[in-house]
Amino acid sequence: MMFPTNPARDCARAWEAMPWVLQNSAPREQGEWLANHLASCESCRAEFTQQSRLQLAMSLPAELPIDANRGLKRLLARLDAPAPQEAPLRSRAGNWVTRALVAAVLIQALGLGALGVKLWSDDWTPAYRTLSQQPLPVPPGAIHVVPDATMTMANWDMLLRALQLQVVGGPNDVGAYIVVPKNSTSTERHTLQQLRATRGIRLAEPVTGTP
Amino acid sequence: MNDTDIDADATDRMLLQRMSTGDRTALAVLYRSYNGRLCRFLSRLTRRTDIIEEVINDCFWIAWQKSGSFHGDSRVSTWIMGIAYRCGLKALRQHGDESVADDSVPEGRTPAHDPDEDRELRDWLSRGLDHLSADQRVVVELVYGVGHTLDEVAMIMQCPVGTVKARLFHARVKLRNVLPSLAGDSPAHELRAP
Repeated sequence: MMFPTNPARDCARAWEAMPWVLQNSAPREQGEWLANHLASCESCRAEFTQQSRLQLAMSLPAELPIDANRGLKRLLARLDAPAPQEAPLRSRAGNWVTRALVAAVLIQALGLGALGVKLWSDDWTPAYRTLSQQPLPVPPGAIHVVPDATMTMANWDMLLRALQLQVVGGPNDVGAYIVVPKNSTSTERHTLQQLRATRGIRLAEPVTGTP
Repeated sequence: MNDTDIDADATDRMLLQRMSTGDRTALAVLYRSYNGRLCRFLSRLTRRTDIIEEVINDCFWIAWQKSGSFHGDSRVSTWIMGIAYRCGLKALRQHGDESVADDSVPEGRTPAHDPDEDRELRDWLSRGLDHLSADQRVVVELVYGVGHTLDEVAMIMQCPVGTVKARLFHARVKLRNVLPSLAGDSPAHELRAP
């Protein structure tokens, strides 16, 4: 087989072929071509000599003091060992995953426990009332008062001051306020009479326990 | 693959087949047969003899377990070297960087029959390989030391053939530039690419 005679290309081809010719895996034609090229190319000849020396050096036996019989004995002992001996090797790989999962579960349990203790210990009541709940206690002397729509805020304030009353609730859906006396000197009955006699007060009734 | 390789592979296949039936004698024969080349191959990855011994035993432990599943898609030597390579990488990961650096062979433990010429050749090679990466040393060992083809090396290292080609090329360029000077010669010319 003839190859084109381009020196640069031939040297590259020779470089490619050298390892495979040295290990006798190259086709016979390639080996023959390389031999012809080396005969005429000093640079590739030097390289091939270097490659041959490299192959020789790489083929030298390892100088490490390793005893094959001792290793074989250990291997046979390993074959005789019970199978569970391999388990620690496998579990070692997943060890950190297991530990991380256990730690996460513990942290979650501690968090939930702390939250439960906090909720249990707090005297917490919701900000709403249900129909089934007991009504709030009515202060003593409380009176429902419905002022007329025409009553001004100034007159309402003046009336409360004159009768020494204070508003503790309301107005509700029908415009009723709950007022209680600031002190216990005046009786409920007297206060009711004064309220009912006041112009601009449409209704004044004592608050009872049941609606 | 020459006739010698074909005969050796046939023997290896027979031993593997016997191993798959639990024949420990076959295992012992194959173990002793491969011990030397595996020692040298693994010594390109690490000089720690304890790690090399461990990797060889891991390799044959797997070969023993998997001998029945070897279908002959490659040479037995390619299969075993591939297992050893993967076990070697795994051992290096477990032992960290400490393994490659330990280059000490105890005094008096080197083979007594080592002639001066071999000693000189070993030193020359060792200083040249110091310039290569671990992957490059492995490729050079598999091609020049063991005699595997590019396809077989790609199978052993589980990488594309192009990657093997590139590693071999760069390793050869480095060695071409450093080896002559290590031998006392001056390089013919500083090579970038042939």
